[in-house]
Parts: sequence; C-alpha cells; structure tokens
Amino acid sequence: MDLLEYQAKELFQQTGIPVLPSQRITHPRDLKGLKISYPVVLKSQVRTGGRGKAGGIKFVENTIDAVAAAQAIFHLPIMGCYPEVLLAEAKYNADREFYLAIMLDSSTRRPLMLGSRQGGVDVESKLEHMQQVIVDQEFSSFYARRLALKMGLEGELIQSVSSVLEKMYNLFIQQDLDLIEINPLAVSATGELMALDGRIVADDAALGRRSNIAAFIATIPDTAPNLNDSPRGKLTSDLKRVQREGNIGVLCNGAGLMMATLDLIQNAKGKTASFVDIGGEYRHNCPPETLQERLQQGLDLILADKSVKAVLVNVLGSVISCRQVAEGMTFYLRNRKNTPPIVVRLVGDRVEQAAELLAKSKIPMTDSLEDAIAKTVILAQV
Amino acid sequence: MLFTSDSKVIIQGIKEPLGAVYAPLMRDYGTQVVAGVSPGHAGQSLDGIPVFDMVEQALATVAADVSVIFVPPYEVLDAALEAIAAGIRQLILITEGVPPLDIVHLLRKAEATETLVVGPSCPGVIVPGKILLGTHPAALYRPGTVGVVSRSGSLTYEVAHELTQSGLGQSLVVSIGGDRIPGSSFQQWLQILEEDDETEVIVLVGEIGGDSEEAAAQYITEQIDKPVIAYIAGHTTPKGQAIGHAGAIIAARMAGMGADVGTAESKLKAFKQAKIPVATSPWQIPELVHQVLQAQQAQQA
Repeated sequence: MDLLEYQAKELFQQTGIPVLPSQRITHPRDLKGLKISYPVVLKSQVRTGGRGKAGGIKFVENTIDAVAAAQAIFHLPIMGCYPEVLLAEAKYNADREFYLAIMLDSSTRRPLMLGSRQGGVDVESKLEHMQQVIVDQEFSSFYARRLALKMGLEGELIQSVSSVLEKMYNLFIQQDLDLIEINPLAVSATGELMALDGRIVADDAALGRRSNIAAFIATIPDTAPNLNDSPRGKLTSDLKRVQREGNIGVLCNGAGLMMATLDLIQNAKGKTASFVDIGGEYRHNCPPETLQERLQQGLDLILADKSVKAVLVNVLGSVISCRQVAEGMTFYLRNRKNTPPIVVRLVGDRVEQAAELLAKSKIPMTDSLEDAIAKTVILAQV
Repeated sequence: MLFTSDSKVIIQGIKEPLGAVYAPLMRDYGTQVVAGVSPGHAGQSLDGIPVFDMVEQALATVAADVSVIFVPPYEVLDAALEAIAAGIRQLILITEGVPPLDIVHLLRKAEATETLVVGPSCPGVIVPGKILLGTHPAALYRPGTVGVVSRSGSLTYEVAHELTQSGLGQSLVVSIGGDRIPGSSFQQWLQILEEDDETEVIVLVGEIGGDSEEAAAQYITEQIDKPVIAYIAGHTTPKGQAIGHAGAIIAARMAGMGADVGTAESKLKAFKQAKIPVATSPWQIPELVHQVLQAQQAQQA
C-alpha cells in the first residue's frame, strides 16, 4: 500500500533523513496561516504518480497566488483521484538531483538498493545510469558505500549519500516496506542533501504488526469506487470483486486458477464482467466453514453486478470439499429467484455426492473445465 | 529422491485450525507424521499424533527430516528458525500472509545451513502414492513420471487433474507459492526434478508478475536436459488490476521501472527463445507431454 508523500516524509524526518520545512493544507484558507516563508511549492497528495506532469505541483510567491493555486489543485483529479490534502513546502535550489531506492528483488530474493546520479522526473528514461547493489547478507554500511561508489560519487558525497541510504534501509526493515524511494534527492551547490520527494510502499502482509503505518493508511480515503458493497453487508474486507466490461461472472478459489479461467473465457470469445477469488486456502486459521461462507459472499458480490448474464463457479476442492461447495450453492440458490444461469465446475473430494446434490437443485455441474467454459460462454450469449 | 515414504515429518502448528485438519489427512495418505508441535499443548495428542511444546523436545523422542509449518503468519519465521536450530533441513511453509522480509531473513539462515524451504502460502509437496507434505487434494493425483513445479495453488491441482485424467501420473508436484519472495525458486526445483530418476518430463506452471519464469527459461536452456512444458496464467489480466497475488500486483506497480518483464508476452518470449513448448490451456498440457515423450522414444529407438 502506497503512503502519501507527507507521510513518507514524516517517517524520513523521524529517522534523520533531511526534509524541508513543510505544512499540511486541508483547505485553501489554511494558507493564510502558513508558517513557511515564500517562495513555496504546493503539492497534491495523491497516491498515483505523474502528478507533476498533470499540474498537481505549483510554485507560488505569495498568499493570493497560493490560495488560487491550492483551489486549482484541490479540484484537479490525478488519474481520477482528488487530493484531500496538499503539502506546502519551502522551495529548494538544487544543484543536482539524485535517485535512491530500496526494494525487494524477487529474483535474488534479497533487498536491492538502486541509485543514480541522474534523478528527477525523467529517471525512467535514464535507466542506463541506474546502479544496483544486492544486500545478500545481513546489512552493514559498506553495502551503502558500495552503491555510492558505483554511482560515481566522490569525496564527502560518498559518506553523506551512504548515510541517507543506511537510514532508508533501517526504515525499510523496521517498517516492513516493499519500496522506499527518494526522487529527487537534491544536492545543493555546497553538497547538502535534501529529500525533495519520497515514496513509501508498505507491505500489506505486515500491516498487522506495523500499527503506525496502518494508522497512516487509515487516513487515506479510498478514492476508487467502492466495489465491496455487499448486499449482506458482512463481507470480509479482503474479498473483492473486480469489474470489467462483459457479461460473465466468475468465482474461483485461488488467484492462479482465476487468471487461467479468465484467459480461457477470453479464448472462447466470452467476456468477463465481474470476478471474485474466494481464495484463502492457506490461512492458518481458516477452517472449511469459513470458506463456505466466502463462497456465498462471493456469489453475493457477483450477482450484485447487473451486467452478469451467466456465472461460472470453478472450484478445485481441497479444504472445501466438493460436497461443501454443493451444499453452499444449493443453500444459496434455494431462496433466490431470477438469478442468471450458473455453471458449477467442481473437482476434488466427494465429487459424486456433490453432483447428486446439485442435480436435485437442477444446477448444472461438470468436472471438465473445457466444457464448463464453453457452456458458460453460450449461456451468456442468450 | 528428496522426499520418500521413509521421510519422518513433524507438524508445527498442529493445534492451529488448518494444521489440525491436515495433519491427519497427511498421515492417512501414508506420510510418517511422527510428532506435532504447538506451544502449551505438550502431552496432548491429535488423532494419535503426539504433541510437544518445542521442536527440540519432539526431536528428543523421535527423529524427523521435514517440518510442515501451519503457525500464524507472524510466527512462521520463528517456527522455521526453531526447526533449523533443531537440525531439520526441509521446511514446508503452508501459511499465507507471511511478510516478505521475514522470508529474506529466513533465506539467509536457510542458505547458510543448506535448508530447503518450500512456500510460504502454498499447498506444499506431494509425491503421489508416497508422501503428502501439505494440503494438495490427494484424490486428483496419481503416481507417474511427470514432475510439476508451480507458483499457484489451485491451478496446480488443475494441472495435476488434467494429467491424471489423460493417464499421466506425477513423480512429484510442488507449489513454491505465489508470494513475491518464495522460499525456493523454479531453478532449484528444476534441478531437483532433473536429478530425480522417476521424472521424465517437467511441467512448469507460471503466472504473470515478477521475472521468475524468464529466469527459469534461461536456466532450462543452460542446465536442464529433460523436456519441459510450460503454462502461463494471466494473459488477459490487465496491468495493475488486482487479483490477489502480491507478486502480480507489485510487478504491475513496479512496471514503471521500465522493461516489460513480468507480462505474459515477456514470459512467452522467454520460453519461445528457450524452445520450450507452451500450452494454451491446462487441458493442452497432457497433449504436449505425450508429444515430447513420443519424440523422446522415437529418438531412443
């Protein structure tokens, strides 16, 4: 989960990474009480990138300009998101701009430190300058110096940049981050460093043990349309429906199976409207009954999408036995009228009993994925 | 072979809901489950399996080669380190939601002690007819000569099911888990299957996100002599659309870094360059396996 820039900078400041004096602005009138002296930069606090190019960053010289600029930024959507907060920050005269980042590298399965002397907005087009160091063993400062040298730094900059990198690494570990990035890290004419912009991506799996990060995230309004409105209103928060432009609803257990099923539907010239992964099979505390409940909640989500003309339920039973899925489906559909046709594809334990149960309720079932997909695509066309 | 019907297995987190369900299922499949560990439950037993407070206490009375770990996510690192300290060198982590930096920490220790780590967030390993180390639905598997290595959970069952349906049994099926930092890599398992006498063909099941399929394709070209068939899920998953796997989501986020590594196109290209046939559907996998087996027989004749 991405933090906002001002939140990242709060963490930077706590750990001793240099940041400029700044102030949070929640309404244009807040600028009248601004404690930072002009000129000032106003920055839209949204989680998406590209805000500079979209006009979400403005330099202002006085209060009148600042209020007008703030009004404009509050009303400027960036990738569909409106800011709730702006960050007013002192202007800084950078002589040079560096790029520094630490992220998890899945191929080496280690933290990877990245650095470039060519930072700033166009860093992605200057990847040939990007240097990297893998932190293969327990971290020590020399890893940071190694990167500084690879970046081509000399003299005092070696120590000062490594010191920032070391602090970034400490944050990365202490806060369970997926990514920490400073871009640009400004270098003044006298060699002072300043983190002008920062990005922190917190690891979702670790939020349960990082209460300060979870508190930051709780303050960020979710500006994307809420797809989690369950008719029953008791939905587990991690179960979500993803929508597309089509007419087939899909429910699977597991992300890989879901992706494969969506591919196969498209190969068969079908179009997916909504899909829900009820997953959760490897949750240490997830007994079979919970998964049966997730099945029903998943169906709720899919059937709430009125563009759905046919539903494919594709479940391979391990924790949930086929019988439990069949029972869940039968129970779910018993008191429901006018539901779109549902194709159930079940494979796993006790599939014969499941077939019997579903046949009684006249719910078509197959154990062949190929047949299930063909059938669903045809039903959606009717 | 790494895992045989002689392997002795302990279950850490045997009193957790998932562990309590699967310990008996594993034992009933023929796995020698010699002990369970759940702090505070020493002296009890679960379906006849004796329970201990700590791994080292269990190992004082029984010998064990493998630990299958079902403890809560933030306790997985500690449980794994406890097993390594007690001398166990094969760990299967089933639990989902383990923070990736915990796995980085574990891997530094595991590599120093030559410990094999499977998972987290996966159904583990099955050697059909011999041993079940995890949560694979055993009914879908048959003994045979096809080795399967996969990043997915239920999609792995799907592939095994298609193979079994067409008369192709499996020598070993492993899911390394869909997390961004898996405990073992495709390459490690390709090497294990390459050296395994029972395995004649390898099926690699990948998905979008990360660069592990690209790296595996390269490794196959350089190191693997046995025929390999690949399958990739996620061709129609748009960039940035959340499906649930951390790997897939982060890869999309990181795509801003440049290259198109992680996309289905990039993975297909890598397999094409390595001359590895790629199935377009799970049910095409058995066809391709039959084809390479026939080609091999023709060559030997």
